[in-house]
Amino acid sequence: MDSIFFYRNSATAPADGPLAGLKIAVQPTVSVAGWPADAGSKALANFTALEDATVVSRLVQSGAFICGSTLGSEFGFGLAESRAGEAVKHNIAAAELMLDMMGESRLAACGAGVCGFKPSYGLVSHFGLIGLIPSLEVCGLLAGSCQTIRHLLRALAGPDDKDFSLPDEKPGEFYAPAPEPSKTTIGVIAEAQSALPDAEKSKFHASVAALQKAGFAVREVSFPDWPLFLPVHKIVGSVEASSAAGRYDSVRYGERAPGARNWNEMYLASRGAAFGTLLKSFLIQGAYFQFQRYDAYENACRIRARLVADMKKLTDAVDFLVLPVSGGASEERPRTLDETYGRFAATAFANVTGQPALVLPPASAAEAPFQLVGPRLGDAALLALGDFLLSVREKGK
Amino acid sequence: MDFEAVIGLEIHIELNCKTKMFCDCPNRPGDDPNLNTCPTCLWLPGAIPRFSAEALEKASLLCLGLGAELQPQSAFDQKVYYYPDLPKGYQLSQAHRPLSRGGGIDITDEDGNLKRLRIHHIHMEEDVAKLVHELEGRVPISLVDFNRAGSPLVEIVTEPDLRTPHHAMEFLKALRTQVRYVGSSECSMENGSMRVDANISVRPRGTSQMNTKVEVKNMNSVRHVGDAIAYEISRQSQAVQAGEAVVLHTRLWDPDKKVTLPMRGKFEGPCVPDPMVPVIELSPAFIEEMRSRLPEMPAARAERFVNDYRLTGEEAAFLSADPDVAGFFEALVKKGVAPRTAMHWLATQLIPAVKERRLELGASRVTPERLAALLALLAKDEINANAAREVLAHLFESDETPEAIVNARGFRQVSDAGALAAMIDRVLAAQSAAVADFRAGQGKALGFLIGQVMQSSGGKANPKIIRELLTKKLG
Repeated sequence: MDSIFFYRNSATAPADGPLAGLKIAVQPTVSVAGWPADAGSKALANFTALEDATVVSRLVQSGAFICGSTLGSEFGFGLAESRAGEAVKHNIAAAELMLDMMGESRLAACGAGVCGFKPSYGLVSHFGLIGLIPSLEVCGLLAGSCQTIRHLLRALAGPDDKDFSLPDEKPGEFYAPAPEPSKTTIGVIAEAQSALPDAEKSKFHASVAALQKAGFAVREVSFPDWPLFLPVHKIVGSVEASSAAGRYDSVRYGERAPGARNWNEMYLASRGAAFGTLLKSFLIQGAYFQFQRYDAYENACRIRARLVADMKKLTDAVDFLVLPVSGGASEERPRTLDETYGRFAATAFANVTGQPALVLPPASAAEAPFQLVGPRLGDAALLALGDFLLSVREKGK
Repeated sequence: MDFEAVIGLEIHIELNCKTKMFCDCPNRPGDDPNLNTCPTCLWLPGAIPRFSAEALEKASLLCLGLGAELQPQSAFDQKVYYYPDLPKGYQLSQAHRPLSRGGGIDITDEDGNLKRLRIHHIHMEEDVAKLVHELEGRVPISLVDFNRAGSPLVEIVTEPDLRTPHHAMEFLKALRTQVRYVGSSECSMENGSMRVDANISVRPRGTSQMNTKVEVKNMNSVRHVGDAIAYEISRQSQAVQAGEAVVLHTRLWDPDKKVTLPMRGKFEGPCVPDPMVPVIELSPAFIEEMRSRLPEMPAARAERFVNDYRLTGEEAAFLSADPDVAGFFEALVKKGVAPRTAMHWLATQLIPAVKERRLELGASRVTPERLAALLALLAKDEINANAAREVLAHLFESDETPEAIVNARGFRQVSDAGALAAMIDRVLAAQSAAVADFRAGQGKALGFLIGQVMQSSGGKANPKIIRELLTKKLG
């Protein structure tokens, strides 16, 4: 099973603090001082992290043991070459930390049959995360239970003097009481299921029916602009990525292509050789919007603000939302940018809006994994809901 | 055809902050190469910019000092270009939402008229690394020094209100004075803390079109800016008259040959909002706090000097041009020195003496207290002006009081009429020819005789009393 690891920690675990003894795997997009941190890209070959990511230092301070770095896809974008989720699935680690750019942590959790959580934007520090899309990506968590995720978040969340993009206010204790089903409304976004094949749709409906059976008030809600989430993510994300990847020039680390006669040729040849095809198409798309269609980028930003506001209205009207995880695309190993986005069609919206999203494994083969979503910074209540649903299942057995 | 120039300036000013703009590294570009670096200013993977509060304050003061209006919201963008001095592929700069808009500087034009030169906006940005090109044996190599990468800068962009080299030079001199006043930068073009690019185009005088401009860089003094603009105006005027098109490009000023030479086509990369540096929101309370920290600016101070101390406009402008000089002057006056004496001694004695010794006005042994004590001795006629100048030289060398120096070195003025009368008698006896000249109506002979008495007193005689006694004896 060692093949899922890119690097393993040979140190012994200290055990003091609330997370003592908890083994946690990270993806190579998460910096651990002294560890190779190539973010899954040749562009970072031989790069050793100089500092711990804040997520790492906070977990270690709480007594957790970072057991190793698992193989990931390039810069954590998509899941093509990723082995994320397997360490938790096989009980090698109690939890795993990975970037969630458009739903990676949620889909990886789905594949592994565990819980996956994308925290609200602004809750967890970005410091030391080697990503591509700062305004969309956050550190996602995978674990066997919602309780474990809540324990981890208690250690992770809150202001960081290394990341000024977080709000100054310290979030609460990450405890919310279990929801009272009869007083809790869960909205089902009609448009989010439209791309699902019939078989998946009926499984998702079975999952929703289980919520009703548990006593929740479930009602269908509409989000007419749902189809805009993906194009907004594609444009904003690729533009940010095009800038963010500008620093990977193979000068100080990374593989340098031979034969260049000057620095300009060296940049071009090295960048051409370093990035994989999927990433290159993403970066070229971003460069296109940066250089040729800046107006489209500005429109995407404006539409994003509107989507955020509309989603806020929706989460004001209901307590939680439930959505499928699957984007409806059949490719397990997508090759193109479009196929990749197709897999994340049901998850990318939460990266656009910054709201928290929790994926729970299905209760049975007749159901589908599903996402529960709350308002931004409503993370604790969302995890309490997840915990409640899992305990209902346990009692039902 | 008669041409006029349309000139706009872009001025980069290094803020004298303790740290860089987005990390805690010391803002000391001159240290040994790559000493002041960290993962953030080297932009290693996972680094996050942390915007410095000190940079915001110094930049805000600078804006207010130039009469600009701080914007309630401003934000950083990524100015994308690829070059080895910028290893992350973009420069953090406020391209879309600058820190301030408006403002301006009043100058006196060639005809002595007041002219307002407007500022379009002022934005903050980070400096880039420094490239050093060398030869390693016969192989040319380029070295990168990151000490300067991330140093805090502001860029002041003027409206195209300037028409002549004189306007540009006066603008820069006044700008330098005002920025030094608020304390945000030393603004030295010689050492690079103020860098000026000039955008110049020409058009037939009397027309109002905006023609293609040329950017000129690499001037490292105010004088060079004037020279480069003058050269460029004449070059473009000749080109247009010869029927050649002016194309948008950048030229470098060559100070030795006194010409501008083409450098490169201008590359304008895209500017996208930076997702990691939070939007800067200035509360009214913050703006008020900055405004309260603003010192009295030079124009207001000069006006006050004219009103309160009865100085001429020229004297007041001279004193208030440098905040250290103005402060020294007021300290002297506070210690009881007559304003005109204080002004005169600063301008003709102290400032030249400080410069000669390569010192700073505020950092020599000659404090306002000591100089005031010396000038008090002069005012009480205990020493004469010659002696006072000599005592001043001693003040630079030791910490003794002026009084002690005067006593120890015998600078006290001889005002005793008896002693002086004896000296005068000796001089009159020895200089009969001069006495005869004086009696024949040659007034300047009196000056000669006074000089002779002064000489025989070893410079200590009170010249007023000598004159009185001599006139009486010869009369």
